[in-house]
Amino acid sequence: MAEKEKLIEVKNLKVSFGTGKNEFVAVQDVNFDIYKGETFSLVGESGSGKTTIGRTILRINPASDGEIYFKGQKINGKISKELDKEVIRKCQMIFQDPMASLNERAKVDYIVSEGLINHHLYKNEAEREEKVQRALREVGLLPEFASRFPHEFSGGQRQRIGIARALVMEPEFIVADEPISALDVSIRAQVLNLLNHLKINRDLTYLFISHDLSVVRFISDRIAVIHKGRIVELAESEELFLHPLHPYTKALLSAVPQPDPEMEKQKKLFVYNPSIHDYSVDKPVWEEILEGHFIYGNQKELDQYRQELKKA
Amino acid sequence: MKDQNNTQNDILESEDDLFRFVEYSPEAAEMTGYSDYSYWKSVFQNFVKKKSAVVLTIIFILMVIFSFVALAIGKYDYKTLETNSSQSFISPDSEYWFGTDNIGRDYWCQVWYASQTSIKLAFIVAVGECLLGITIGCVWGYVRKLDGFFTELYNLINNVPMIIYMTLIALLIGQSFKIMAISLICFDWLVMARNVRNLVIIYRDREYNLASRTLGTPVHRVLIKNILPQLISVIILRLALSIPGTITMETTLSYLGLGLDINTPSLGILLRNARSYFLDYPYLLIFPAVIVSIITVTFYLIGNAFSDASDPRNHV
Amino acid sequence: MAKEECILSAKDVEIQFSLRGRRLTAIRKCSLDLYEGETLAIVGESGSGKSVFTKAFVGMLDSNGSITNGSIMYDGVDISKYKTEKEWLRIRGKKIAMVMQDPMTSLNPLKKIGVQIQESIELHQGLKGEEAKAEAIEMLKKVGIPDPEHRFNQYPHEFSGGMRQRVVIAIAVACKPQILICDEPTTALDVTIQAQILDLIRNLQRELKMTIIYITHDLGVVANVADRVAVMYAGQIVEYGLVNEIFYDAWHPYTWALLSSLPQLGVKGEELPSIEGTPPNLFNVIKGDAFAPRNKQALAIDFAKEPPFFSISETHKAKTWYLDPRSPKIEQPETIRRMRERLRKRG
Repeated sequence: MAEKEKLIEVKNLKVSFGTGKNEFVAVQDVNFDIYKGETFSLVGESGSGKTTIGRTILRINPASDGEIYFKGQKINGKISKELDKEVIRKCQMIFQDPMASLNERAKVDYIVSEGLINHHLYKNEAEREEKVQRALREVGLLPEFASRFPHEFSGGQRQRIGIARALVMEPEFIVADEPISALDVSIRAQVLNLLNHLKINRDLTYLFISHDLSVVRFISDRIAVIHKGRIVELAESEELFLHPLHPYTKALLSAVPQPDPEMEKQKKLFVYNPSIHDYSVDKPVWEEILEGHFIYGNQKELDQYRQELKKA
Repeated sequence: MKDQNNTQNDILESEDDLFRFVEYSPEAAEMTGYSDYSYWKSVFQNFVKKKSAVVLTIIFILMVIFSFVALAIGKYDYKTLETNSSQSFISPDSEYWFGTDNIGRDYWCQVWYASQTSIKLAFIVAVGECLLGITIGCVWGYVRKLDGFFTELYNLINNVPMIIYMTLIALLIGQSFKIMAISLICFDWLVMARNVRNLVIIYRDREYNLASRTLGTPVHRVLIKNILPQLISVIILRLALSIPGTITMETTLSYLGLGLDINTPSLGILLRNARSYFLDYPYLLIFPAVIVSIITVTFYLIGNAFSDASDPRNHV
Repeated sequence: MAKEECILSAKDVEIQFSLRGRRLTAIRKCSLDLYEGETLAIVGESGSGKSVFTKAFVGMLDSNGSITNGSIMYDGVDISKYKTEKEWLRIRGKKIAMVMQDPMTSLNPLKKIGVQIQESIELHQGLKGEEAKAEAIEMLKKVGIPDPEHRFNQYPHEFSGGMRQRVVIAIAVACKPQILICDEPTTALDVTIQAQILDLIRNLQRELKMTIIYITHDLGVVANVADRVAVMYAGQIVEYGLVNEIFYDAWHPYTWALLSSLPQLGVKGEELPSIEGTPPNLFNVIKGDAFAPRNKQALAIDFAKEPPFFSISETHKAKTWYLDPRSPKIEQPETIRRMRERLRKRG
């Protein structure tokens, strides 16, 4: 198998807010890589730190410890202006709430070309307009929408404007922070299809953040499960669904309601109790228990998981 | 009867005809629930619904216009007024429409000239405090590191009553229109800055501003294009309330002899001059007092009406 | 299955709102029967009218809305004709209770939660003082709040989202209502908490013998809780039936589109069948089938005449011209056939 290029590497990431007594550690000991061309999903509940990780990679939050690499270059902490510009161009974000992520008082034209204007990425007015129109067409909107205001559009269309805004920068890596959670059920499919198309047409890599495991299965190549700031399990998506090992992953899977009545009626709910972990003596590690399947646990638990895998 | 049967069959048949597939048209599907809701149009419509605010606005505009007209049609020109003790304290009559003051000058042109001065001062101060207050408020709210510094500055200045500052300035620096204007601006920006800063803090971390940050938008453009448009209604409200505030402050200071110099007429100076005589000649007090009241009440009510109108929850 | 008693019957209900000078018809001739002891799920997207419809059952329509047609028969009385708060108070909270989506807005942040439950009990059960307090603590225990005597004296902000929702449920069932309406009670909660709350409501239903109406847009939740399902679109119920009939044998094109567009039922690598366009503007009068403009396989008659309900079985009805004998043969979509296959394979 050809060596896949690592686009993003996250090593020992720690993000905390506040200082001293009020310090709140949002994320700690996070390690993962994102390969070029894949959709890597980060799944967790509210307060798990998944949004924080996404924002820290894009330098919205500062990292308290650890390193983040983009194409081999360190991008956290103080970096040169050129590298900062490159990160802004190549790494973009799609936000969760289409009602809050667009500037209500600006025309769609300005919203989409904001990034272009910031970095003078066009020679003249005509070229800028052309780029905006191309971006709008690519997300399935009509070019004449450029002269309208966001409040004239529905939620799904607004989300597509947000995607056009990220696309016009011609990025390589996009962090999609719960892009469909705030949308109506029937609109979600449109946006998911669009994201998949763009991935193929534009050779994009995604970090897809979500709280919904069942949606994530459809769109991702690899999935990481995060609980209270720590990644507890990471595997290829089918592998994760076939062999979930960490009790939190199992609890999450059993809690997600499937649109299949017979299956739901027979389901037994598995509740996760964090106190089942005894980390006082036997310290936990982040280990690759199978090829591509990582898990967080101490030696005793790792042995249990290995037993489970053998039986499966 | 036969005809009816035929038509019945016709109807059934044409209905049967309709059971075929039709071309799917994506344009028809994309017919968005287009909402022609325009924020400012709704604000205007709401404001206009409050008859009292509209009436007062009209009264005020008329008054300002009239103040120019009044001087033009007045029998006496302000600049050529002479003091004439023999004409003093004449009650309003056909010769002197507002009567004369204690040294025989026509009161009509004094009152209207004074109104112009006071209004001019109020507007200059309003614009000045607007610019200064918004700029400082934006920096105060947006740059986290400067928040502490500005808060201390605000507390320092705010804790001393304005009267004391104005007194000190009047005594140490002097009294004139320019000095009054500048010193009022220098202390009035506080309220505007605080209001702006509070809102900037609320809007700063909204998702669309985070989006601008990830796109590399510089801070000044984020403030001007993203945040300030949301603050317009608060700013206008603040302006509307600052105008009567300035007039009141000027009136008070002039009354105490700390305001404009005696040769620059203002409503406050007139009130001051009338102080000694108004029991005998109430008209000297009434005319300037009425004008001050009209301005104050007008702007207060307009400000409130506007603030209600610009609340999107009232736009139903 | 024995025929259960029908306890609430809405017929041809029409609800209109006056908005910015125009009239919006939010509910267009909706009929619904509710049977004792069942769990009915009403599914629809935002704008379908599902919340508005059930708010009419407890008299909680916004002030600019009114029931302009139809009847809602409950307990022998047409409650759609109620005009005064006094009339509604006989039912609301006592016989029909409601649990809403956001627990923070349902609770008074300035009152202790125990007191809030106690007030509900005093109002509806006629108990007073110490008796009511004991009953309130009992309620807290029943909804699974640990250490109820201590937590009785705490304020809403001291509870987590899931706990708050449990308190809201406690207040709602404190007076042992006959019907409990849950309007998206778990949408704002984490998925693990959601599973626990759904379980809780199921247990309470069994214990207190309640009939439950669930309003949701999440078809997974529907599969988990419902006995019967009603699908709403653009202010009308377009299909209803037993839960298995809706998931494995749906017939309305909107239900098809809804099920097909679920990522959980999608096949990886294939495009997810999506519904183009947006729901219709309810300010306008709608001619024919409201879903027709977005239906890629619409019939001409869908644009001309509104379809009546056709029966697929005694319990399953759909409002679509596809079921008219004159309609051309049309097959159910891939997604639904796949689900039936999977069900068959599981035995």
